[in-house]
Amino acid sequence: MSRLSVFKVAGFITLATAVPTLAQTATPDISDKLQLCATCHGEAGTPAKPEIPIIWGQNEYYIYVELRDFKAGRRANETMNPIVADLSKEEMQALAKHFSEQPWPATSFPSDDAADRKAQDAMTAGACTSCHLGDLHGKSAIPRIADQQPVYLEKTILELKNNVRQNAPAKTALFSTYPDDELKALAVYLSSR
Amino acid sequence: MSRRIGSLSGVIAAAAVVLAVAGSAQAQEQVKTLYGDMYAVTQDMLNRSEGDGNNFLHTNGNYNQTRFYPARQINASNVQKLRPAWIFQTDVVETMETTPIVVNGVMYVTTAFDHVFALDARTGEQLWNYKHNLGPVATFCCGPNNRGVAVYNNMVYLGTLDAKLVALDAKTGKVVWEQKIADPELGYSETMAPTAVNGKILIGTNGGEFGIRGFVKAYDAKTGNLLWTFNTIPENSVGAWTTHDATGRDMHRDISAEKAALQKSGDPYKTLGGGVWQNPAVDLALNRIYFVVGNPSPDLDGALRPGDNLYTDSLVSLDLDTGKYVCHFQYIAHDVWDLDSVSPPVLTDVVGKDGKVIPGLLHAGKTGHVYVHDRRDCSLVRFSEAMVPQENMWTLPTKDGARMLPGANGGVEWSPMAVDPNLKLTYAINLHQPMTYHVLSTPYPEGKLWLGGAFKVIPTEEQWGNVTAVDYNTGKIRWQVKTEQPMIGGILATAGGLVFTGEGNGLFKAYDSETGSVLWHFQSGAGVNAPPSSYTVDGKQYIVVAAGGNTQLNYKRGNSIIAFTLPE
Repeated sequence: MSRLSVFKVAGFITLATAVPTLAQTATPDISDKLQLCATCHGEAGTPAKPEIPIIWGQNEYYIYVELRDFKAGRRANETMNPIVADLSKEEMQALAKHFSEQPWPATSFPSDDAADRKAQDAMTAGACTSCHLGDLHGKSAIPRIADQQPVYLEKTILELKNNVRQNAPAKTALFSTYPDDELKALAVYLSSR
Repeated sequence: MSRRIGSLSGVIAAAAVVLAVAGSAQAQEQVKTLYGDMYAVTQDMLNRSEGDGNNFLHTNGNYNQTRFYPARQINASNVQKLRPAWIFQTDVVETMETTPIVVNGVMYVTTAFDHVFALDARTGEQLWNYKHNLGPVATFCCGPNNRGVAVYNNMVYLGTLDAKLVALDAKTGKVVWEQKIADPELGYSETMAPTAVNGKILIGTNGGEFGIRGFVKAYDAKTGNLLWTFNTIPENSVGAWTTHDATGRDMHRDISAEKAALQKSGDPYKTLGGGVWQNPAVDLALNRIYFVVGNPSPDLDGALRPGDNLYTDSLVSLDLDTGKYVCHFQYIAHDVWDLDSVSPPVLTDVVGKDGKVIPGLLHAGKTGHVYVHDRRDCSLVRFSEAMVPQENMWTLPTKDGARMLPGANGGVEWSPMAVDPNLKLTYAINLHQPMTYHVLSTPYPEGKLWLGGAFKVIPTEEQWGNVTAVDYNTGKIRWQVKTEQPMIGGILATAGGLVFTGEGNGLFKAYDSETGSVLWHFQSGAGVNAPPSSYTVDGKQYIVVAAGGNTQLNYKRGNSIIAFTLPE
């Protein structure tokens, strides 16, 4: 609720700064939205809490698709759903473009040898690099998962497995074949790439 | 930055080099004296490519797609001396599946993410580079692949991951025209090399994992205007409720449940998949094309798509001029294992059922069989012995996972075969990668990956590959050589009695085409998972291949084009 309040307040703030946009039509002003985003996702790309994902430097189309899914209710999140509810397609595209153009923040999440071994087996079994590519940075609709926040990764992987997050059924099907300890190891491994 | 890290010293006299700034920021023009200074590829050259020992004009060698190269300077008696002439490194270190195309001493290669390089085929020196301005929306499965270009007249044609067809000036790399093929947001993308024939540029589509409706389209080579479209999924995709596969085995379909689902949900044709992402063969005499169609969507969940799912997992023939249907043959009706038809068809004469020689067609399946057809009506003449283990076929996928061999990465993947018409042998590279098949039914997720479940590699089971020679007139395996990893990429046979193919561990090998003996190998430093080609310039024959690894099987990535020749 508090974030929603921030959004409402921020909605009255209009800055003149032009923001590059993907939109095919007029460039929307998203400056107030950016302020709101920063409250959780960080002023410099480092999120305020460990369960919030890094979105600076994330792939543009992935960010847009997730915003689209939050808006459509395909991805349920009590914070994001109301924030996105009133965004236009052009605003979502502009936000996606903006964040994709920011640098991924420096991270130093610790690795764990035992987790790494378990995770590498899990990655082989799931052929993760087929989509996320060799550097695990993905492309287009496939998210970067390397160096992502480990708590967020574990949370979202388990939510996908347990069909809490429902907007990526191929992931739900795949993760449902793994025990939780392998998925937790995967989160540790990916965050420390 | 791209660079050439090795060269055959002293081959070229220094030529005046003028560096010109290209009009497009994405293309650089380099003007110099070129071998023959001939860029144009005529239809006559394309027609005669089977006997052309100088050029390599088609992704699969010629319109019959035999990948049999007629030059014999490099042969079984001297291949031991083969060594690198030059290595060109691109600036994209990712999966490489390109077939180098060579026109009068100029080579065209592509990389992941749709870059094109024109090289001097004698030295590897870069002539120009085109980097496609890939839009933010590009939907692709299994790697950001590109398998190369088509060449026709003075142009070079490229399909892109954001579902565009781009025509480049062969001399400069500048864009002549660009055409949107389909909407990438809906799951369409391009990885195949186009095919150029009789003023047309033919191209299919990827997207079988994204709920697309597949097609093959023909564009005007000069203008880019669309000439015809063939939808690989007809509006009535139900078929004949076929219960057995092409080899006569029961696929355990629940036909009554499917009929009930059909009554309830209607024909699923709009999101049924059926991509075509390998080149068609062209029968110039019959004026037809032949191609294979990929898997139905979603891959593992048949409950949402009742019926035979025509023309998925099928060989299809069309009239070249009109794109009208001629005939088809479906290998697996209502596939729920992703054992689709991918490896490009090969046209060659075969012995028919009555012992007479007929115009035939070969296709290698992910099932591990080579299928032999009569190409006049697409009918099946015979199928080969299985080239990889088959177990528990056709066990249906389950929630907890059902083990069946081949796995979804099994038998012959997209890798093109090669045929030696003198030995009557076809050469295929195979994968053995045990998997479990899991089904989880979910509705169409709007252009997102839609597998209807999951394939899962069984990490405790051994994986391997093989190179197999099959007598296509008997279906018997003539020879087979096991490799330490599953094989993907492609193969080339030559009149020198050789077969060339590479492996994920970086080894590029030459085999005796008659016996399978390994006669030569080279460690390339990255996975060799692309089809080799060959050419001759200044009287020297070369073998060339890309070493860039493979995304799908996670083989070591690289960025090299390596050309081999014999010492002076």
